[in-house]
Amino acid sequence: MRNVAAIVGLLVITSPLCLLRAQTPAAESRTVWDGVYTEDQAKRGEPIYHKECGACHGDMLTGGESAPPLTGGAFLANWNGLTMGDLFDRIRKTMPESAPGRLTRQQDADILAFMLSINRFPAGKTELYKQSEMLKEIRFESAKPSPKK
Amino acid sequence: MREKNPKRLHALLLLFFDGFLCWPAAAPAQFRPKDTEWPSYAADLAGTRYRRLDQINASNFSDLEIAWRIKTDNFGDRPEYKLEGTPLMVNGVLYATAGSRRAVIALDPATGELLWIHGEHEGKRGGAAPRQLSGRGLAYWSDGKEERILYVTPGFRLICLDAKTGVRIPSFGNTGEVDLKLDDDQDIFPDLITGEIGIQSAPVVAKDTVIIGAAFREGMTPRSMRNNKGYVRGFDVRSGKRLWIFHTIPKQGEFGYDTWEKGSAEYTGNTGVWTQITVDEQLGLVYLPVESPTSDFYGGHRPGNNLFGETLVCVDLKTGELKWHFQLVHHPLWDMDISSAPILADITVAGKTVKAVAQPSKQGFLYVFDRVTGKPIWPIPERPVEVGNVPGEWYSPTQPIPTKPEAYSRNGVSIDDLIDFTPALRERAKEIASKFHLGPVYTPPAVSKLEGPLGTLTMGTASGGTNWPGGSYDPETHNVYVYACNSCIEPIGLVPAPKEVSDLNYVAGTAGKEVEILHGPGENAGADSPKPPQKRPGSGYVPMNIDGLPLVKPPYGTITAINLDKGDFVWQIAHGETPDVVRNSEILKGVNIPRTGQETYNIGTLVTKTLVIAGEGHVTTTADHPRGAMLRAYDKATGKEVGAVYMPAPQTGSPMTYMVNGKQYIVVAVSGGPYSGEYIAYTLPSTGE
Repeated sequence: MRNVAAIVGLLVITSPLCLLRAQTPAAESRTVWDGVYTEDQAKRGEPIYHKECGACHGDMLTGGESAPPLTGGAFLANWNGLTMGDLFDRIRKTMPESAPGRLTRQQDADILAFMLSINRFPAGKTELYKQSEMLKEIRFESAKPSPKK
Repeated sequence: MREKNPKRLHALLLLFFDGFLCWPAAAPAQFRPKDTEWPSYAADLAGTRYRRLDQINASNFSDLEIAWRIKTDNFGDRPEYKLEGTPLMVNGVLYATAGSRRAVIALDPATGELLWIHGEHEGKRGGAAPRQLSGRGLAYWSDGKEERILYVTPGFRLICLDAKTGVRIPSFGNTGEVDLKLDDDQDIFPDLITGEIGIQSAPVVAKDTVIIGAAFREGMTPRSMRNNKGYVRGFDVRSGKRLWIFHTIPKQGEFGYDTWEKGSAEYTGNTGVWTQITVDEQLGLVYLPVESPTSDFYGGHRPGNNLFGETLVCVDLKTGELKWHFQLVHHPLWDMDISSAPILADITVAGKTVKAVAQPSKQGFLYVFDRVTGKPIWPIPERPVEVGNVPGEWYSPTQPIPTKPEAYSRNGVSIDDLIDFTPALRERAKEIASKFHLGPVYTPPAVSKLEGPLGTLTMGTASGGTNWPGGSYDPETHNVYVYACNSCIEPIGLVPAPKEVSDLNYVAGTAGKEVEILHGPGENAGADSPKPPQKRPGSGYVPMNIDGLPLVKPPYGTITAINLDKGDFVWQIAHGETPDVVRNSEILKGVNIPRTGQETYNIGTLVTKTLVIAGEGHVTTTADHPRGAMLRAYDKATGKEVGAVYMPAPQTGSPMTYMVNGKQYIVVAVSGGPYSGEYIAYTLPSTGE
């Protein structure tokens, strides 16, 4: 009997938690439309972009012979539905091409903030994280979501 | 300065697999690849990308399933997201370059089983290479007994392997390698480790000669008007000995030297052949598509026409001696490298058989010549073009413009080209375009000014039209099939270069932006210290899209079938699903938009007995398929789509096909965005026997 009671008790206690956990991602889900970087951060990212990325990805981020555009429909489609963590890690793992990982996490985050600004995602009050795990909580949505009711 | 004892990833795997391999019991007396194989990068030395196979056809293309797949992540110290290779399949083995180390892998073509792997650890020399990653492929050679694989490492060393084992051939060059930074009629500067020169294309082997070109960094903002030169060389496939060299920038006393005024041939560099080379073995002629000189968009330091920049050059296979040439662009200013393999075609013009060569281009012209004489099949007269006013620049007053075939993709920008789905979108596009100088093909770059123009808005230049994948040719119909980006906008502005940035007077840039020292791939120098921000992010930045929508109207990318007997289009279609950003646009709800094709520059085609096959360059997410791209098949006679099969990522390497054990396979390289490189082999489902 004690065991049964314990199990029932556990169910009573855990069920709401499970529900809460199931709801949490939706409730706290953020997207690139929620102001996930600051203007100052994008300003910091701009010269780094031009120094480290522009030679291949283009002055206007339109891509070049050896590198894809970082703006426009193809860029948006490539990352739509993924997370900022995915995009950040792609940069961390492979860029700059000759020496991947040479830039600091902060520099990578600043470049990413600049890219978001160029792609007309709104700036906000908090800087873009530089931790991949935290960035995975921000979804990259190419189209602006409908206003929450 | 030469590297010593580079580590090698030799094939321990071979110890495990060698015993299971079934090599041919007796090699044929003389090597003749079967027409069911794919023995060189473009199927053959003529650059056709054609195989007369028909097991996979219109009735079953959509039934294709994955026979095998291989991720390339572990063939290097990091994943690669730009896998551009086309494998070879010959004598029952599939060979490919793969991974960020540009390893060579040998696979069972029916199962994908890894037979051997070879990689070269090049240390700093590899890290400093101007063209990194896995490259486009490799070359196969056999005399009927011995089989060899040849490829060039990122660090510009020609490696010769035993095709059976993946082990270097010791008698070739220096223990299986030729250092391509040596014996090049120039001293590669500043040193052999960091000296800028390399290549990403596949070598070509014709008869017993290996032919190698050269590539450099992107040339928009070079540090200097001086650079290494991209000569082309032929090597003996048995010994590795240099047989000949062709100076793509003539030396003093050689033909063409006087097209470089004020001695500029002495210091100007680049002008390599970075794309695929084509050979007519019977005629003993080699066709070299030469790229731009230093720098891409400013030629004030190299007055003159600049032979052999952006010139189709024909040389002798045995000697490298110049046979004929045709400069497609005089005094290049638009980065219109000749970017793809010349295509050899035996055609019938006005009742006469002609051995022709057809050259696709970034500028959307298909230049067609008699490949023996170099004489144009249809007239290519010199036409007056706009002369610009960039200080110090030298302009050619005319450019050669083909009368036939007509341009198969856009090569200029006019208001009429701008997006017109709605009047409001057209107005926004006009506002963007108003900041630039517009004009037809060969409208020159402009100095970027805040008050305007910010530059010249171009198409059919650096990344337009047909780029490195080139076209295909069907010897049955005498049609060339060629993909082209019809919407790859390139704003070209020039800004004065500060002395600490470059010794050129002008480099590519936009007014209002601080000119930065641009680091291209391969430059891993020093710690970086970003300058303090002084302006708003993106100041001077003008988007080349409208809320993600392309600035110009569809079609964004096309495949065109051009009949070479007549010089006329047979058909032209938009290639690729309409991009998500267009299909899902709120602004465009209710607007009927036929399939637009896609804006990309790296789509290669494959031609079979009945089909033209090409994958998409972008991912889409539609009701029919999850995020992914489609490999599409078209009826080669009509251009009508007859089937499609899902790929998890865009096509980034051109497809190839072969038969093995009675089954036809199609292999394609996919990668991009978050998806690392993968070769995928498709075949038809088992019949259940």
